[in-house]
Amino acid sequence: MSENSSSRKMLSLVLLAAGVAGMVVSLVMDFSGGGSPVRGPLLIIGAIAFLIGLYLFPTVEHHRGIINFIFLFPLLFTFAVTVIIPLLLGIFYSFTDWNGIKFTGFIGLTNYTTMFKDPAFIWSVLLTFLFVVFNMVLVNLVGFSLALLCTSKLKGVNFFRAAYFLPNLIGGIVLGYIWQFAFNNVLVQITAAISGHQNSVLANTKTAFMAIIVVYIWQYAGYIMLIYVTGLTTVPKDVLEASQIDGANAWTTLMKIKVPMIASTITICTFLTLTSAFKQFDVNMALTNGTGSVTDFFGSYLTNGTQMLALNIYNTAISKNNYALGQAKAVLFFIILACVSIIQVRISNKKEVEM
Amino acid sequence: MKRKVIATLLAATMVMSLAACGSGGDNGSSGGDAGNSGSSSESDSGSSGGGSGDSIRLVNGKIEIDSQLKKLAEMYKEETGVTVEIESMGGGIDIQGTLKGYYQADNMPDIFVNGGSTDFGNWEGMLEDMSGEAWASDTDAAYVDEEYGTIGFPYTVEAVGLAYNADILEKAEIDPATLTSPDKIEEAFKTLDSKKADLGLDAVVGYCAEATNLYWSTGNHLFANYIDGGLDRDDTTYIDMLNDGGKVDKDRLTDFAEFVGLLNQYSDPALLVSGTYDQQILNFASGKYAFVTQGSWIGATITGDDAEAYEAAGNFKVGMVPYAFEDGMDTILTNSPSWWSVFSDGNAEAAKAFLQWCSEDKAQQVLVEEAGFISPYNSCKYVANDPFAQTIVDYQTAGKTSGWHWLGMKEGLAQNYTGQVFSDYAAGNLDTDKFVQTMEQVIQACYAN
Repeated sequence: MSENSSSRKMLSLVLLAAGVAGMVVSLVMDFSGGGSPVRGPLLIIGAIAFLIGLYLFPTVEHHRGIINFIFLFPLLFTFAVTVIIPLLLGIFYSFTDWNGIKFTGFIGLTNYTTMFKDPAFIWSVLLTFLFVVFNMVLVNLVGFSLALLCTSKLKGVNFFRAAYFLPNLIGGIVLGYIWQFAFNNVLVQITAAISGHQNSVLANTKTAFMAIIVVYIWQYAGYIMLIYVTGLTTVPKDVLEASQIDGANAWTTLMKIKVPMIASTITICTFLTLTSAFKQFDVNMALTNGTGSVTDFFGSYLTNGTQMLALNIYNTAISKNNYALGQAKAVLFFIILACVSIIQVRISNKKEVEM
Repeated sequence: MKRKVIATLLAATMVMSLAACGSGGDNGSSGGDAGNSGSSSESDSGSSGGGSGDSIRLVNGKIEIDSQLKKLAEMYKEETGVTVEIESMGGGIDIQGTLKGYYQADNMPDIFVNGGSTDFGNWEGMLEDMSGEAWASDTDAAYVDEEYGTIGFPYTVEAVGLAYNADILEKAEIDPATLTSPDKIEEAFKTLDSKKADLGLDAVVGYCAEATNLYWSTGNHLFANYIDGGLDRDDTTYIDMLNDGGKVDKDRLTDFAEFVGLLNQYSDPALLVSGTYDQQILNFASGKYAFVTQGSWIGATITGDDAEAYEAAGNFKVGMVPYAFEDGMDTILTNSPSWWSVFSDGNAEAAKAFLQWCSEDKAQQVLVEEAGFISPYNSCKYVANDPFAQTIVDYQTAGKTSGWHWLGMKEGLAQNYTGQVFSDYAAGNLDTDKFVQTMEQVIQACYAN
């Protein structure tokens, strides 16, 4: 180490300098609109040279820190570029009149006031909250019941565990189209034969809302079930035996022993269903594309009866070509989601039982 | 030692697969993912700079002719060595939305489809002016903008009207030429309705008002008759009213609403509220409906995908009558449905050369005879054997055509607003007056945003 320490230090400094120089040169070329094909590779080579130089830097007490930095760097960089920077840029754009390509000036809070005066948007927010409440309860109930079934002594439980999980693997858009076919063609035949109704479930806003919930439960219950299965199998057997000796029946065992013991699992599952129900987009778009009429909401006739918040934002930005307003709605979405998540985690943490 | 070798090999494989994704992904349609913001320096060298004239990309909005366009691309490649990649989008996909995504990801195609002034407005200043091309003087269906010149290449003429099964009307002894007023049409509907069993019909009209996937059929095409029905080609009264804050002419809209009510009444209930486009065309091709509320583009489907059913129904002749919601309406709406534009920052020269080739003999033969297009070029000598070609030519020679000013409606009007109202009306949730009221309300809401 000491013989090549000075040469190592030289090499490291040279690489560091070359790396930084390479990156700066390529960024300058890019920002000045050069178009030279060498920019991309130069940036990458510069970054790699910089990292190698950092690795070779001869220090003992900082070496550990440097290694940590180098290994975390790709992940943090990607996260910063794809999540943090767009978030900050988005908040910035929501105060301007950005049209997706360039912006010409600040308009302050106009986007936000427009947004709150739009009955269609208010409807989307309320609908999303309603959807989340329904789903959190129903998905967890269904998932928990399936988990109870799958941890019982029935034959073929392993097959059922896999089978219930399969719907989660189908992508949202495909799922939405398959169910649209099922509701519009298959279910209609059945209801037409029974009661003469020729209209599909998706034609009426209220029933379409139920339909989206059904599809969502079908997709997610398996995933939640697996988490509950894990939770249920960690309930210690001696407690269960003790309760059996004391004469507890199945229902009491379930409510007084199993449920409190898996409280942390319940936290996780409610957290998962809460955030994913809020963010629901692909099934919504593929199944109904937000259509559905609401005859009287604050005095206006709405045509977006089943349009939830994420789809509303997408529609505003892409279909109606109003990127700045869409961005403002997205900022509101972020704030709502962040608040809800923080509150939910705080409440759940207080209820967990330590064993 | 062995572990280190394996570890290095696996790491190298991972890096290689990342590199492979980066170069191959440019050409695919997955480039629309806007999450590429940080790596723009890499994708730059791949897409916009790489124009050596060897390949161009065309985004086409008519999925019905995808195979015919691919054949054109092969022919062009044999002749000139230039590869033309065809990307077709259809079936209610938001084409402009996808294109905007491509623009954000630096993945714009060289030629893409635009439907009307709102679509062209998205790309202001970014499209090539093709007034100097040879084909521009051979047609009057090109899209000409006052400021930017000839920015749209036409490839067909389509018609919007009430399509009918000529054999069935003949058997029921109804003369289509008399159907130019709402009373006559109502009479015809009643006659056909009473003879349904004899003629083998499921219903008189195949009208589908489903809001999610068929909003364009009602909100764009049917509503186009309110805007242009019975008027001269350059009469912009109603579209100007519409674009002026969403005003509508109540009387005309009420007449229109009564006519739509007629369609609701005589339509196939299984199709009306929750049907699909495929089912609508298939049933018409099978001879189960006397009328269908779709335009001349279904000719390609009837003779293509539904050819077996069409043959079983006797390859019946078809024609078109106007959606005559007021007395004396005797025109059908014809226009170029969309145009192909050339993106200035792409491979513009090669793209323009390809379009010029498309307007010439060999390509026009494929487009007219196989894709069922009706050529907008005066020098073209091929006549389409599309079932609707004859009726369109008849109306055109008689001078009885109106324009397609619905193309100038505000973006998203049908998809987000009026499509839903038509669907509610069809489901019976609104009566005629309420329909007119609600249409007015949603149109104003749309234009107020």
